[in-house]
Amino acid sequence: MTKRILSNPTRRRALAGGAALLAAPAILPSGTLAQGAGPVRIAGLVSLTGGGSAFGPNMRAVHQAVVDEVNAAGGVLGRRIEYLSEDDQTNPEAGVRGARKLIDVDKVSAILSVWASSVGTAVLPLCWENKVMMIAICAADSIALLPHQGYFVRTQPHTELQGTQFANFAIKRGAKHLYVMMPQTPFTESTMKGVKDTCEPKGIKVSTMIYDAKKTTFRSEIDDMMRARPDMLMMGGYQPDAIVMAKDLFRANFKQTVIGFAYGMTPQFVEGAGKEAVENMYSVEPVPSAGASAYARLKTLIKRDELDIYVCQAYDHANLAILSMAKAGAFSGTAIRDNIRKVSDGPGVVVDNAIDGLKALAAGRDVNYEGASGPCKFADNGNIIDVQFRYNQIRDGKIVEVKL
Amino acid sequence: MTSYLIAMATFAAIYAVLGLALNVMWGMTGMVNLGLVGFYAVGAYVSAILTVKLGWPIALGMAAAIVATAAVGAVTTFGLLRLRDDYLAIVTLGFAEVVRTVAENEIWLTRGTDGISGIPQPLKAALGPDFNPAYLVFCLVVLGVVLALVERLRASPFGRVLRAIREDPQIAAVAGKNVLRFKVKAFAIGGAIAGLAGALYGHYSSYIVPEIYVPLLTVYIFLAVTAGGVGNNWGAVLGAFIIVFFLESTRFLIQVIPWLSPVQLASLREFLVGLGLLLVLLLRPRGLLPEPLPKLSDPAARR
Repeated sequence: MTKRILSNPTRRRALAGGAALLAAPAILPSGTLAQGAGPVRIAGLVSLTGGGSAFGPNMRAVHQAVVDEVNAAGGVLGRRIEYLSEDDQTNPEAGVRGARKLIDVDKVSAILSVWASSVGTAVLPLCWENKVMMIAICAADSIALLPHQGYFVRTQPHTELQGTQFANFAIKRGAKHLYVMMPQTPFTESTMKGVKDTCEPKGIKVSTMIYDAKKTTFRSEIDDMMRARPDMLMMGGYQPDAIVMAKDLFRANFKQTVIGFAYGMTPQFVEGAGKEAVENMYSVEPVPSAGASAYARLKTLIKRDELDIYVCQAYDHANLAILSMAKAGAFSGTAIRDNIRKVSDGPGVVVDNAIDGLKALAAGRDVNYEGASGPCKFADNGNIIDVQFRYNQIRDGKIVEVKL
Repeated sequence: MTSYLIAMATFAAIYAVLGLALNVMWGMTGMVNLGLVGFYAVGAYVSAILTVKLGWPIALGMAAAIVATAAVGAVTTFGLLRLRDDYLAIVTLGFAEVVRTVAENEIWLTRGTDGISGIPQPLKAALGPDFNPAYLVFCLVVLGVVLALVERLRASPFGRVLRAIREDPQIAAVAGKNVLRFKVKAFAIGGAIAGLAGALYGHYSSYIVPEIYVPLLTVYIFLAVTAGGVGNNWGAVLGAFIIVFFLESTRFLIQVIPWLSPVQLASLREFLVGLGLLLVLLLRPRGLLPEPLPKLSDPAARR
């Protein structure tokens, strides 16, 4: 009888909650909460409040949708997957507290889709110390340099890769003077350096400015920029500051070419800044290399017409974690770490979702997962490699792909 | 579960030290310091930079953090000389933003928005998995020492003058007290304690980044001190533990109210913290542990 109560997950966690209420550290020996034959747990540490709250809710919905469809198809190796999520408040300190709960109380095997680089850097040490896999977004170059022992991969192209795309765009368009405006982020310096190193040998003048993203207007910054008379502007902000800047550029009657990151220039960006203000602006976006069947499939899965890049990555994170466990025949973070490259890179049937992949693995075949955000190949340090980019332009309020 | 509770107790102990810092400045002296998180940041950065970049021992780094934040506290007071109440609050809020912006942009010193990772943790290698409980004990000892010191301060003539300044600085001045000097000292002491809390956090988490030092954290500590009882040091400690308990226990609400989506729940958590504070203020306006004020007695009757 006692055994049955303990194996009941809701009851067990109610007990865990009760222990927290009592704040009695020694009430449960940690062994009793270790993974038994119960569900396999994976978690999303997403931003439901704070600066990343525009993306977090959709990301956790995608995780849940993937887990639900896998459970409906019989789970992974006969075990049900339980999905949990915590709000990191887009703050490293709150993120650490959330991650501690997921790791210590829920004993998750993987933490998915950490968005902010600062949260990722703060939480990653907890992951490798507790042998939990982190499959993240975080773009800061510095994270991959941490001694993470392989417990880290990311699907967001690190910024060195992205910066050169802007430079190539400027070169192809024959720009003479490129002006780069970016908020202070972990990748600002490296992006600016990347742009300069590529452009200056080709005779393109590069000017840079770092602005405070939390300002409510950028008029003085734009005045400074226009005084320098550039013929191309690279707007390197996130969605909230990109909206403010696009409006101010429109007011200032800035007529030159504008290019930015696709994660800043989303459909919400077009709506927020207004169609007239953003018409003809360009953006750079990483794309899947081999077709986009996962992308199309994800659209039907969550019943949406437009997908932002983070939703696509969240979908890939959940699928990769599940497939890695199935490939390993084990459910630990270490099992995911040791098998994630086996299911994403190498020979095998190309699959775009976990269910097809699970079937193929059950049939004894190898799989090669090609995701909605890209082909998902990882270097040894966890960085994504072999990313293809495309250029978009906003035409009549729609974001369409353009060839140069 | 145990390690989770240990981690949360560590956070609560660090918040409690911050609560004591605020209590010296605001609770005892009446100076509203919305820039508390700025001192917390300075403490964390001073210790992190000295131990990571210059290889100082951790104890020296922490000591330097205390000295530096005390100095920062004393110097800022001169800038705040003529300011009281709302004006003081706004300027101190600005101070914290300046600290954060400097930390974001002076990349040569603070590594900017990358943050400083790999901050040494005391005896981490020797303790291994026992590091977390050991650090909790360390934080609790530090909290105990700070609590004893500020309690002594509160009971001393010095604390009495601070209370007099809080109630009416002019009367304190008329009574012959150098108000500025006392304010500078109170801000320096409070700043030093907040800096110590910052260093404690840095050497615990081993990673700091400007994004940690947002005004929300100051708000949490204000809530803690208000709920615990403004002016009462034990109240500040109790309040800090209550705040962390509140923030964390609400995570488990999802199992109790499954019809709420996690997105709603995330907002609800913040909402509940506010509601809890309102309830305390309605039911116990002076906090859970009201400030113990000396009883007024008629000196003539004592004979």
